[in-house]
Amino acid sequence: MTTPAIEAEALTVTRSGTTVISDASFTIERGDYVGMVGPNGGGKTTLLQALLGIIPAASGSIRLFGRDKQAFSEWERIAYVAQDAISFDASFPLTVRELTGLGRITRDRLGRPLSRDDWQAVDEILALMEMDDLADRRIGRLSGGQKQRVFVAKALVRDPDILLLDEPVTGVDAETQERFYKKLSDLNEARDLTIVIVSHDLAAVFCRMSKVMCVNREVYSADITEDLEPNEILREVYGDHFHFVFHRHECTGVFADE
Amino acid sequence: MSSLTLLDLPRLLGYQFFQHALLGGLLTALACAWVGFFLILRRETMIGDGIAHTAFGGIALGLLLHVNPLLTAWVVSTVAVLGIAFMRRRGIAHSDAAIAVMLALGFSGGLVIISLAGGFNVELFSYLFGSILTIDQTDLGIVSGLSIAAALFLGVFHKELLSITFDEEAARLMGIPVTPLSVGFHILVATTVTLSIKVIGIILVVALIVLPGLTALQFNLSFRQTTMAAVGVGLLSMFLGISLSAVYDVATSGVIVFTAAALFIFAALYRRLG
Repeated sequence: MTTPAIEAEALTVTRSGTTVISDASFTIERGDYVGMVGPNGGGKTTLLQALLGIIPAASGSIRLFGRDKQAFSEWERIAYVAQDAISFDASFPLTVRELTGLGRITRDRLGRPLSRDDWQAVDEILALMEMDDLADRRIGRLSGGQKQRVFVAKALVRDPDILLLDEPVTGVDAETQERFYKKLSDLNEARDLTIVIVSHDLAAVFCRMSKVMCVNREVYSADITEDLEPNEILREVYGDHFHFVFHRHECTGVFADE
Repeated sequence: MSSLTLLDLPRLLGYQFFQHALLGGLLTALACAWVGFFLILRRETMIGDGIAHTAFGGIALGLLLHVNPLLTAWVVSTVAVLGIAFMRRRGIAHSDAAIAVMLALGFSGGLVIISLAGGFNVELFSYLFGSILTIDQTDLGIVSGLSIAAALFLGVFHKELLSITFDEEAARLMGIPVTPLSVGFHILVATTVTLSIKVIGIILVVALIVLPGLTALQFNLSFRQTTMAAVGVGLLSMFLGISLSAVYDVATSGVIVFTAAALFIFAALYRRLG
């Protein structure tokens, strides 16, 4: 059995003295497509940031590809798109291709210009994300859906093993969201890419993804199988009054192009 | 020289003083426009102005100690820019307030030194308003060397600086050494400002830093094209400014900045009306 991509053991994370994540233990296997759900303020972003080392853990451990986070150094294997990535200054003079190219910068090649291979990788990723027609467009002139795709392209052009996405579909229409989740499914399968995505779209999570993580100070995770009853796990974080109407047979057809 | 016309420009190019002025001026314009473009995108343009005024203290110190004032100005500017960055990082003061502290410290220090020394008005005047047409060999060497060093730094770390400018946290997560590169960039700002003092003077340095980048930004180009346009506008302003001032015998720094401002106004009008 291969080493898991991410393991957390009794992880507690605090912010300004307040416990945001408490005693969380979970495992994310390689190739998992994980939907992270939970109420706003429940700690989803904090949990992602703790996994990335942006904020330190108060106690407990995190292992990345089997190595303790303190000893882990291969950060280029993990790509992250922050929640506020798409809220940049719209007048910033940068094209889709240039922004994606920035994703090819690595620690061991600082100060060296991007090579022909780098730009080829950029063009391939843009084609994969259906952004090749927009390569020379300024990023400030993209729609919400196009912005999220270019930031995912910038993350993917690093050829990572794990992609962490913090609520990348906020403010995007439903059909664009569906296409985006479908694209991630394809990437997950074609590249064996481990994806962790913070999402409020419960239908997309239970239809598309292999694992659900419910975060509201505590973390509950479960593999999404035929037998999993979504409400059982969702009520752990959203409360007993919560009812999510979900019929698995409705999954096909959720996505416009299927 | 006031009887000259623009037709005399080819002849002027044969004079060594004019060649020196153009060489020093164009290299400075290159560094200023490039650094300034990054400063605009980082929303830190007033650092340029603050540092230039702080450098006044350095100029006065150099004149007092009989050391080349550009060198003492460079040291004072570097200390000031690092001081500003330190105050911001430690939460002692926000950017604009930190700039104000350094400006006050440098400028008042300069005034104290001048009054202690009994005044060196004429020389000081040339640093307040620039004197590129009378640049000597030593200053030309300093200006050229530092401009080339600035351009090399920007050329080599161009994409890393862009990455930090666009999204500092994302850059840090990608393994880019944000703090050392930011310190390097700020030293570069101090260097560029010091060079411009000789060319354009303390009062108008900020114009040489801001106007070319701002003009280039009017055209909605890619990052690469905007950078080249900014440098182009900087070089053009400098060339026209030095030439026109030599031909018509008017204040060089005034003409350089007036030309740069005119180019900016044309570009802004072109964007709105074109």
